[in-house]
This record gives sequence, C-alpha cells and structure tokens, in this order.
Amino acid sequence: MPHIEPLRLDEIRDPELLALIARCEALGVPDSLFPRILARVPAHATALLRALLVSYAEGTVDHRLKEIIRVQLARTAGDAYFAGLRSARAAKDGLDEDTIEAGSGKFQDDPRFTSAEKWALRYAHEMYVNPEKVDAAFYDEGRKHYTEAQIMELGAFIAFHYGMQAFTRTLGAAPLRRTDNNRG
Amino acid sequence: MALNPDRIGREFYDELRRHYSEEEIIELGAFIAFNIGYHTFFGTLKFYPMFSQDAGLVGQEESARLYGAAPASLAGVTK
Repeated sequence: MPHIEPLRLDEIRDPELLALIARCEALGVPDSLFPRILARVPAHATALLRALLVSYAEGTVDHRLKEIIRVQLARTAGDAYFAGLRSARAAKDGLDEDTIEAGSGKFQDDPRFTSAEKWALRYAHEMYVNPEKVDAAFYDEGRKHYTEAQIMELGAFIAFHYGMQAFTRTLGAAPLRRTDNNRG
Repeated sequence: MALNPDRIGREFYDELRRHYSEEEIIELGAFIAFNIGYHTFFGTLKFYPMFSQDAGLVGQEESARLYGAAPASLAGVTK
C-alpha cells in the first residue's frame, strides 16, 4: 500500500473530480490510484488532474512523443509508479514499447527519432540532470523545430510531470495493473 | 523530496502524521512537487522578478543583478 491510503471511489463525491478520474483511467495515465490519493484534498485533486490531462493529452505536440518523454522523466525521477503506466491512446496510435525504451536510451543516435523529437527528448533529460545545458543556445535550437507556444507546451508538461513523479516516488505507489508492456 | 527522495519512506510519513492531517500532507506534497518541477523549468528560461525589493519596476538585466543569477540558497548545491 502507498504511504497515504487512497480514498475508495464511493467516498469521492465531487462529480468533476470523478469525471477527471474516469478520464485518467480511460487514458491509462494515471490509473485511479494517484487521483484517489490526491482526492483527500478535492480542490487540489481537481486542479492537478485537470493540469495533468491538459499538459499531457491536449495541445499540438504529438501525444506519442509526450508519452516517451513522460516515461523517460519518471525514470530520471526514480518513480516506479509513473514509469510503469502506459497511455492507451499512444499505444492505439502506434507507439510501441521498443520506441518508449529507445527514448530513455541513446536517442541522440537513434534514426527512429526526428531532429525535433531528439531536441524534445534532450530538453526533458537535461532539464533535471544538467539544467545548465538548457540555455539560450538550446532554446534557439528548439525554435528551429517548434513554435514558442509548443516549446512552452513541452516545458510546462515536463515540469508538471517531473514534479508529480518526484512526489509519487515518495508515496511508495505502484501501478494498479501490471502487464508485459509495463516494464517500468 | 528534491535532493534525497530515498529518505522519504513510510517512517517519514508516519512522523508527518504526528504534525499534520493526511489532507495537509497531500496539500504539502503536491505544493512541493509543483515547485520542484516548475522552478527548474523557470530557471532555464532566465527570467527575473519585474520589481525591485522597493517595488520599483526594473528591467531584466537590472533584476538579475539585484537578485542574483542563481538562488543563493542553492549556490553550493546545484551543478
């Protein structure tokens, strides 16, 4: 069990929060565990889940790329919970486990990724490992591949998800379901 | 959470429960997590407060000079 016990679904009354949890469950990220822990503070849970879904599942940057980045970030954070979850939508759109693995490896030399995707993967990796490398020259390079709106979309997505992963790591949470594709 | 997450386990949460309700612990955890994620991102964007400490509007170069290019508390911690 996680260090903070999740509420049962029948203990959650807020209809907006229940709808957000259902949306998370349908997407697969997060499963209902983290939302039901957050649900102990309903106003926070609603705001955080809304931000999580907007940053991860909306916008103009490919959701499959965000899924690869999200898993890479969870591994950087050492968070087994988010590292073990997978997006059903990204899988349906063709993202396979080998590509997710490649995004956490030597992606710079991997021909399956475009130059734009490599920049985004580097953005996520360097942000929390070598933030001093994310400088003006790095952002100038990003502008060759993405609009400034997309760079903000990526940056805010990376910041939000890394922060939540740092938190879930300490909670001792684990995915509710484990499949062969959930290698963590 | 930011620097030594391995030190935050069940015993740590049990100790927190002596001081805070579970609702307050979630509130604190989410707040801290949000700040861990966003302050590093903000740091890469190199922007500084728009106002000096006496509430005057200042340019970004002047603000960087006034407040320092990096947080003083982390000067010896960051790479």
